Amino acid sequence: MLTVVAALALTACGSGDSGTTDGGAADGTARSGGTLTFAVGSYAGCVDPHQVASNDTIYALRQIVDSLTDQDPSTGKIVPWLAERWEVSADAKTFTFHLRPGVTFSDGSAVDAQAVKENFDAARKLGAKASLATGYLSGYVGTETPDDLTAVVSFEQPNAQFLQATSTFSLGLVAGSSVRKTADQRCTDGVVGSGPFVLGGYVANQSITLVKRKGYDWGSSLWRKTGEAYLDKVLFTVVPEAGVRTGSLVSGQVDAIGSVSLADEAALKAGGAVNLQTRANPGVVFNLGLNNSKPLLQDVAVRQAIQVALDRQQIVDTVYPTGSKPATSILAHTTPYYGDVSPQLTFDAAKAKSLLDTAGWQVGGDGIRTRNGTRLSLSVGWFANAATNQPTLELIQQQLKAVGVEITLKELQIAQITQVQQSGDFDALWGNITRADPDILRSTYSTALANTYRLTAGALDPVLTEQAATVDPAKRQALVNQAQDLIVRNAHVIPVVELTTALGVSKKVHDLDFEASSRIQLHDTWKS
Amino acid sequence: MRRYVFRRLAQAVAVLWAAYTLSFLVLDFLPGDPVSAMAGGGLDQASVDPAQLESLKREYGFDKPVLVQYADYLGRAVQGDFGNSVATGQPVTSVIGDALPQTLVLTGAALVLAVVFGTGLALAATYTSARALRQLLLSLPSLGVSLPTFWVGLMLVQLFSFRLRLLPAFGNDGIASLILPAVTLAVPTGALLAQVLAKSLFTALDEPYVQTARAKGAGRARVHLRHALRNAALPALTIVGLLVGNLLAGSVVVETVFSRNGIGRATVSAVTVQDIPVVQGVVVFGALVFVCANLVVDLVYPLFDPRIVVASATRRRSLV
Amino acid sequence: MSQTVVGDPALNIVPEPDPRDRSEATGWNPARGLDLHRLARFLLRRPGLVLSIAVVALVVLAAFWPTLFTARDPLLGVPSDRFQGPAAQHWFGTDEIGRDVYARVVHGAALSLKATLIAVAVAFVVGGAIGLVAGFVGGWVEDLLMRLVDVLLAIPALFLSLALVTALGFGTVKVAVAVGIASVAGFARVMRAEVLRVRHATYVEAARSSGARWHSILLRHVLPNAMGPVLVLATLDFGTAILAVSSLSFLGYGAAPPAPEWGTLISTGRNYLANAWWLSTLPGLAVAATVLATNRIARAVDGEWASQR
Repeated sequence: MLTVVAALALTACGSGDSGTTDGGAADGTARSGGTLTFAVGSYAGCVDPHQVASNDTIYALRQIVDSLTDQDPSTGKIVPWLAERWEVSADAKTFTFHLRPGVTFSDGSAVDAQAVKENFDAARKLGAKASLATGYLSGYVGTETPDDLTAVVSFEQPNAQFLQATSTFSLGLVAGSSVRKTADQRCTDGVVGSGPFVLGGYVANQSITLVKRKGYDWGSSLWRKTGEAYLDKVLFTVVPEAGVRTGSLVSGQVDAIGSVSLADEAALKAGGAVNLQTRANPGVVFNLGLNNSKPLLQDVAVRQAIQVALDRQQIVDTVYPTGSKPATSILAHTTPYYGDVSPQLTFDAAKAKSLLDTAGWQVGGDGIRTRNGTRLSLSVGWFANAATNQPTLELIQQQLKAVGVEITLKELQIAQITQVQQSGDFDALWGNITRADPDILRSTYSTALANTYRLTAGALDPVLTEQAATVDPAKRQALVNQAQDLIVRNAHVIPVVELTTALGVSKKVHDLDFEASSRIQLHDTWKS
Repeated sequence: MRRYVFRRLAQAVAVLWAAYTLSFLVLDFLPGDPVSAMAGGGLDQASVDPAQLESLKREYGFDKPVLVQYADYLGRAVQGDFGNSVATGQPVTSVIGDALPQTLVLTGAALVLAVVFGTGLALAATYTSARALRQLLLSLPSLGVSLPTFWVGLMLVQLFSFRLRLLPAFGNDGIASLILPAVTLAVPTGALLAQVLAKSLFTALDEPYVQTARAKGAGRARVHLRHALRNAALPALTIVGLLVGNLLAGSVVVETVFSRNGIGRATVSAVTVQDIPVVQGVVVFGALVFVCANLVVDLVYPLFDPRIVVASATRRRSLV
Repeated sequence: MSQTVVGDPALNIVPEPDPRDRSEATGWNPARGLDLHRLARFLLRRPGLVLSIAVVALVVLAAFWPTLFTARDPLLGVPSDRFQGPAAQHWFGTDEIGRDVYARVVHGAALSLKATLIAVAVAFVVGGAIGLVAGFVGGWVEDLLMRLVDVLLAIPALFLSLALVTALGFGTVKVAVAVGIASVAGFARVMRAEVLRVRHATYVEAARSSGARWHSILLRHVLPNAMGPVLVLATLDFGTAILAVSSLSFLGYGAAPPAPEWGTLISTGRNYLANAWWLSTLPGLAVAATVLATNRIARAVDGEWASQR
């Protein structure tokens, strides 16, 4: 459930998600004060939003930094936050931001053009640990500051996704005192931001405490409340076991929990004191990322057979929280420029078998197919980062076995991921990437870049390159549709299920809202 | 006596050095690459620039020859610097230092419970004359050491947190959240203590001086508590190091089950992300605790019985 | 006390305290005949021991012939049957994707028993070898080895296992090896003590003076006679090893899914504590029963049988 966010989002992304908490109609008006206790499943080992990608930790860290822009979760539109307005050059190489006056970091220093420049310059230097931020800033030339409130950011090549990237936590602004620290210091000390909450303290692997920023008065244009946040304090506490989180929410020990799975729902609903909030994450859906260079997987028939052998609906119905959707494309339906290619993802075991039969794979004695003495056996690498991964993969294993494909599951340590991806020593990897821009397709599947899945250069590449340089929404939509179709038709990777962020929230808590990439904003949240 | 103390101290230091070296050797064969873990920042599949990886490796000294690394690390360890956590960048000493108070509270509470109930059980079992009751009481410690600690914890959470809603299921806030973890941790420790104590009580009760005391007309309870227990407690003292080690090891599982902050949980996170400096720090810390506990016992023991100066070490070890 | 002893003339002259009775305790020595009457009387007075033997026998059977106990596939789930409580249909209920938990516990016995055997074997072989060499060679070798053992003893076993797991990686076998190495020290100490005791025994001196080579003395005289207490320690170590292995797999360092390793079953069940109590409770009972039974048998082997004589 670690994720990337970014991109230019001009089209509607038609969010039909089950909603946020009703604004506390029964209890009347919102009130200030109180402490919100939020139980999450993990801790990322760092309290710098530029260097963290894990949802559970970002829930907290998102609150301590403001961004230049914000993204409307229902329309995908980029709207003002710290930047009152901006201009994007026609070639998408230059971005000019006009900052709001009078904004300060919590150490008193000003949020001005110089701060923007320092942040972007430093994000590049954070290096390997800040892979999200550096990705957004690829081709960064520099930032000019014609006056205190104007920052002009320029790039070597068209970088259409950058505007949306400025709405993410990864490029949230931090004070000069934090910019000048080393990456390690930022991780351990935390950063000074201008957000509605400041970091009150943290205990590694146990908790992160946020305290309301006094005098805060520069909230996103999307927020309902102006001025300071309602809550005095927010305590994020780490409880790794889903069952314990659920039990503790029901028994009132905590106010809200993250990572709710289908199994927890009955218990949460039973008490009647809990709302379930879900929202599908934009970006690349959970998929079996096939290694297209492996002999077994070079054959498109085998890949397509795997693609139609999966009963996605059964997986969703068995494991994922209510409201989750099976994949209908490589992109989740909440991603801007998403296009539906679900006919190619329909479960059809008979078709899978006939594809494999035609390709010469014969069912052997133990039910697993072989061809010329080779078993049709794949090893799938996965990470124990979400409670849904294991049951999902065990179901996939079972479903593929039914058509004669053997899957062995290999749990990998996160320590090994980069090494595995770079070496190509895998048959398939299980994962998703949250990112509210289709440019994620280029960074993931272009053969000119990392090309983790070893696609061979072909028709897909020019399409991906062109969409990145295209600013016109209609033209970009056509290109992104074409890319999605090419990826799914050739079954380069096997889309399975959309990640749906699911939270359990006590009915005493109101207006705990999702932002555009399904993380939360707590400025408007209040407790009755 | 001074020579005895000095020798014990020197041994303790030598054991610590050896423990450090051993942990270094073990962890140096690590196949994974902690720097990649750090760079990946977690689960997202964004790729990382190899040049940046190299610079991180240099920053952490993973590119140097093993012997140079060892000398470097040992030199710093002697000065109390165990390096920084690869996962969080925090100094290892502060990872352990921050976690220590919570673990001390937990293990302290568990030790008290274990001593009270362990001793009580051993006394009751050896005191009662009802054969059936004695059998029952004597079987409890074997039960206690046989139950998986993590499972006991989960059962207590099920019952007291979720069904009865009496006590919190996790956390470090106040006495209420301490009860279940402390009880869980006290079960195996108390059981072990009860086993050892019951055995030595039975032995003590057969000794001539107990017979003599009885013959002199001392009351049964008085003989049991004053004479037998006092003498039986001495052998129990020799397993203090073992008990402390058990408590510390038990905290790994208990803190995980109850999501409590502490050294155990820090260790689990470190192992999971292959955070070598922290794992090494914890191993050395474990050895330090064990060595200190035994040192204290070794130094205290002669006060009870000066004749044991030489014998004590051997006797303790044979129990371990 | 072991079978290697049988028929060795050199050993029959030994005034060994109790080779016969010990071999009878486990019924290993058909050559000397089993005192069935005594065994029956011994067992009749210990119903708990009989029960323990039955439990361990069941676990061993389950490990080698799981199909005796269940016809269900431990890996095949029926998603629509997920999260069913224990009932006649599914004795231990079903899990998150509808697999039969009883079948998983039965098939899990193989993995857990294998891991335990590996752990004990590693501890026995490595520890035994260290102790044997230390005791037999003596001198600086002995000093060096026994200081190493001191260090191993000074690090709490679980921490040592965790360090080894960090280094070796995760998986049932690696966890088993880590647990085994962490308990090497006890075996080394006992073996050394025994070797020292035996080394100066008359029959060894006799063999030596009659010109036997050192390896023949070691293998034919010292090793067989020093083995007894080490084997007793091995039986005592079983329960500890089961617990240690399941603790490590509970912490997430054990078998990969869908393998039904016991600790992993309990650990996975934690995620469903709020809605499916049986998922961690029943596998936990299986572990507890096995450890309890193993410890009970070990105690009988260790002391009761001999002292009852």
